[in-house]
Amino acid sequence: MNFEETDQGTHVVLTPEGKFNLVAAPPLKARIDDLVAEGKARLIVDLHAVDFIDSSGLGALIGGLKAARQQGGDLRIAAAGAQVKAVLKLTNLDRILAPYETVEEALHDW
Amino acid sequence: MEMPQSTARVEAEAIARSVPGERYDRVVRLAQAIFGAPIAALNLITNDAQLTVASVGFPKGSMPIEDSVCGVTVQQNEILEVRDLREDERFAGIPAVTGSPRVRFYAGIPVRGQSGQNVGALCILDLVPRTLGRQQREMLADLGALLERELAVQEEMDLAGQVQQLMLPTSAPDIGGVEIAGRVQPAREAGGDYFDWFVVNDPEGAGKRLQVVLGDVMGKGLAASLIASEVRAVLRGHSRYTDVGDAIARTSTTTRHDLEANNRFSTLWVGRLDPVSGNLDYIDAGHGLAIIASTRGYRRLSQDYLPLGMPIEDDWTRTSDTLAEDELLVVVSDGVFDVLDDSFDEAEARLNAILDPALSCRQIVDLIVDFAVSHEATDDVTALAVRRMPGAGVEATSQGAPAAVDPDESEESEEKG
Repeated sequence: MNFEETDQGTHVVLTPEGKFNLVAAPPLKARIDDLVAEGKARLIVDLHAVDFIDSSGLGALIGGLKAARQQGGDLRIAAAGAQVKAVLKLTNLDRILAPYETVEEALHDW
Repeated sequence: MEMPQSTARVEAEAIARSVPGERYDRVVRLAQAIFGAPIAALNLITNDAQLTVASVGFPKGSMPIEDSVCGVTVQQNEILEVRDLREDERFAGIPAVTGSPRVRFYAGIPVRGQSGQNVGALCILDLVPRTLGRQQREMLADLGALLERELAVQEEMDLAGQVQQLMLPTSAPDIGGVEIAGRVQPAREAGGDYFDWFVVNDPEGAGKRLQVVLGDVMGKGLAASLIASEVRAVLRGHSRYTDVGDAIARTSTTTRHDLEANNRFSTLWVGRLDPVSGNLDYIDAGHGLAIIASTRGYRRLSQDYLPLGMPIEDDWTRTSDTLAEDELLVVVSDGVFDVLDDSFDEAEARLNAILDPALSCRQIVDLIVDFAVSHEATDDVTALAVRRMPGAGVEATSQGAPAAVDPDESEESEEKG
């Protein structure tokens, strides 16, 4: 899986596509870790192009969230599709990884 | 002629059974390309047969050991090179030389298994006589070493899978009035899914309870299985002394470092059933896939708690329900839910298939797991079914992945060690 990256100065938007699974999760998590290490700890993961997420994908998002918060930032997710939302709700992870409808909404106080 | 020791041949058979061919095909294709030979193969040598498990230019399958050149190669610890098989009295009469494909040249390097004994050979064959140069012989030896490494990794994975399967409960819980069955089918040799059941004493002195567990550690494979083993053991330990909510909270605390260090989390569904009254206390730590079902409908046994391994502590507190005598408790892993498009409507539509009272719990978990596997589940798949059997005998079964807990095989693996 490829992902696009857009640095907006105040934040970085990562846009993975396709299946966000065991194969796709490690590269995205590694990139998040690099960004956080560079001091870019305000991250948006735009999920509009992800049609399937599994527990490894969730793990990468949670791991990224932890890394970002440790550096005083945050990781937010936007534009999740039905399957992603269903899995977040099932695992109750929407409690700590609230899905925003759009990237703009996710940016509300940045 | 000294034949390889029988343990090596048993090992070869075990490897042949577990071999996912593509893994070895790559090395075999490499050998074929490097040597520009029409045929290359990995042959395993068992008691009476040569098993071709990976090949180019030659069909996979078995042939009698008497017709095998590799059967001779495994008896030595160096390359066997035969310039022209027709001129070697040992091989001039074998079918591959006298008939199709009428091979002339053979070079094979023995390949060792975990036991250190030769279990097979990587060979290249040509239709014209030839000889290998020194560098080519070294290359063949390198490719053999590569295959040995692949075989060793595969054997380790298979053994890890066996260990995990053997940790599953296999006998009826020591408590009357309940029927239970579980089955896990990992996507790889081992995985992050597991189920468990055991009897605990109610901490308030109300007697014996059956604790049932379905856990799912994020990810797949050996790494996930290591964490699953830890969560399983820690939960077992804490569960003996306290109620189900407290047991989860303590398990979270005890495993926190290891889950965080590995960036993993574990969902858990844990129920504690009194088979006499049907009282069922449960905790749903981000699992979400437990239901009580009957012909009257179904209800989810879910809570809003987080899985273990999250950045914040939760306060897992039990909820109580009652499992009626005509109801079935079913817990599955997300591998099952995925093939239902992660939809409870889809799941409900298929519920009737498992609600026939004539089905045993064992048949129910088989139906669920087989359904998921036949619908190309990509994740580990697990199902657990429990119901009360008032006044009836106790029955319990569990089954792991096929070919994992067969008693014959575990004997073999002991011989291997």
